Amino acid sequence: MSWANFLQLTVSGLAMGAIYTLTAKGLFIAHLATNRLNFAQGDFLMIAALLTLALRGLGIPVPVVIVAVVLILGFAGWGLERIFIRPLDRLGFRGGGEYSWILTTAGAGLVIQNVAELVWGKSAQYSPPLFSGRNEPVRFLGAGVYPEQLAVIAVSVLVVAAFYWFLFRTRWGKSIYAVAFNPDAAVLLGIDVRRMVVLVFALASMLAGISGVLAGPIVSVFPQMGLVFTVKGLAVAAVGGFNNPAAILFGGVLFGLAESFSNYLNSEFGDLLPLLFVLALLIVRPTGIAGGRKAAAR
Amino acid sequence: MIEVRDVSASIGPIRILSGVSLAAARGRFVTVIGANGAGKTTLLRTISNLLTPSSGRVTFDGKDTRGIAPHRLARTGLVHVPQGRQIVPALSVEDNLMLGASNIRGLARGDIREAIEREYARFPVLRARAGIAGGNLSGGEQQMLAISRAVLMKPKALLLDEPSLGLAPQLVALILKALREMADAGVAVILVEQLAMMSLSIADDAYVLRQGRIVLSGPAADLRGNASVVESYLT
Ligand SMILES: Nc1ncnc2c1ncn2[C@@H]1O[C@H](COP(=O)(O)OP(=O)(O)O)[C@@H](O)[C@H]1O
Ligand SMILES: [Mg+2]
Repeated sequence: MSWANFLQLTVSGLAMGAIYTLTAKGLFIAHLATNRLNFAQGDFLMIAALLTLALRGLGIPVPVVIVAVVLILGFAGWGLERIFIRPLDRLGFRGGGEYSWILTTAGAGLVIQNVAELVWGKSAQYSPPLFSGRNEPVRFLGAGVYPEQLAVIAVSVLVVAAFYWFLFRTRWGKSIYAVAFNPDAAVLLGIDVRRMVVLVFALASMLAGISGVLAGPIVSVFPQMGLVFTVKGLAVAAVGGFNNPAAILFGGVLFGLAESFSNYLNSEFGDLLPLLFVLALLIVRPTGIAGGRKAAAR
Repeated sequence: MIEVRDVSASIGPIRILSGVSLAAARGRFVTVIGANGAGKTTLLRTISNLLTPSSGRVTFDGKDTRGIAPHRLARTGLVHVPQGRQIVPALSVEDNLMLGASNIRGLARGDIREAIEREYARFPVLRARAGIAGGNLSGGEQQMLAISRAVLMKPKALLLDEPSLGLAPQLVALILKALREMADAGVAVILVEQLAMMSLSIADDAYVLRQGRIVLSGPAADLRGNASVVESYLT
């Protein structure tokens, strides 16, 4: 493998890894506070990518589109919690037991997919780049790489940094940790647990939204694209045991790189290999690479 | 400040509390003693509205608490330190301290800082461990932290669920002294405990809870004089 090849694969692997990381962080934060996962996370990503395309098609400037899409996704997360998750808690056992949210969130994903198909059709669309003028490689460290991929990496780094700041430095982030530890005890500290739950689902969806906005120009966009992202997001979150943000970051980056290189070596089964790796890891370490240590990130 | 009138409560189909009445005025130190399983935790959870009573009523600061969300009660000064301290293990000592106070309206940052310094003066070990994760504290340190965290919420009434659990006697004495100071400063303190004599020696009023009913009550000094009777209810 030539140096140019190596660098290209690394950059595109990091870009995809960044997107998986953001998707997985969304799964992580909702799981942290509620022990629930949004099985429609990838479909939220898909709808964000399609919305971005549609809004840009109307000639709206890119920064406005990004803010609008992320806000819309935030509302979608709020709606998901209100319609597909909270009623189950109220119904308790009559709601189908402890794990019925798996069905309802996956069902929400199917609904979103079908609505997207009705609106945009089944076929794949290609987004123009968000950050760079034209989608052409530029010289970077002696190899041709896509500026859009570099931008995706840079923006993801900023988003991950902001996410860490929110989680570990703000009052709300700390309250999320209190809710995660013991909701009743959090209530006794004056924390509005229900509002925190809405907040984490809104945040989780906003992360899916950012992932979708970023992924649009570097993958093909179509209504059925979500499931793959849900599966990979879950795989990456599982690498971090669903509870360790640093391990999830590590897992996401590694997953993206593994996928990029395995696709180069074998384009037929390239996508499968990283998932098999995760499966093997989980057989050896079911609690993820951090071994169930929650606070290792601090 | 707190009045519990003829309260019954159930968990699922099982009745846990039957017709419990008690009162704690401002500045009074009230203890409720009872054996393991008597219903002490359930009583405190009912007062702070984590559990809705099936009959009877609870008033706090003259207002019926029915229908008020527990986090709102906490913000208005009904502060409950639950059994097992419930220190958030992933957060530092100082972050744990701020958790409650940061939800109280009208508390400026400067006020909180000043109050934290007062708590550090009360329990110097907390200052020494300010940056350490709560999960790495000993049981005694966690209990001090839990009490300081509650004090920072400016309580009008303070409910404590077996703070002595798992602590060495001199630590228990230190904790009880802090609670006495709270009561003397005008807070209504309700301490539920299994350690009867220790609690009776510091409280003003006492109730004995057995199988979800109050079976004995009166001035703590009187109950202390009747140790054999009290002990007979604690088995
Ligand atoms: N979640 C629960 N489900 C069923 N029974 C419970 C539950 N919590 C407590 N109980 C029962 O209620 C009674 C009182 O419990 P509790 O209030 O915890 O007592 P204490 O705090 O005095 O030890 C016990 O008999 C206990 O078994
Ligand atoms: Mg108890």
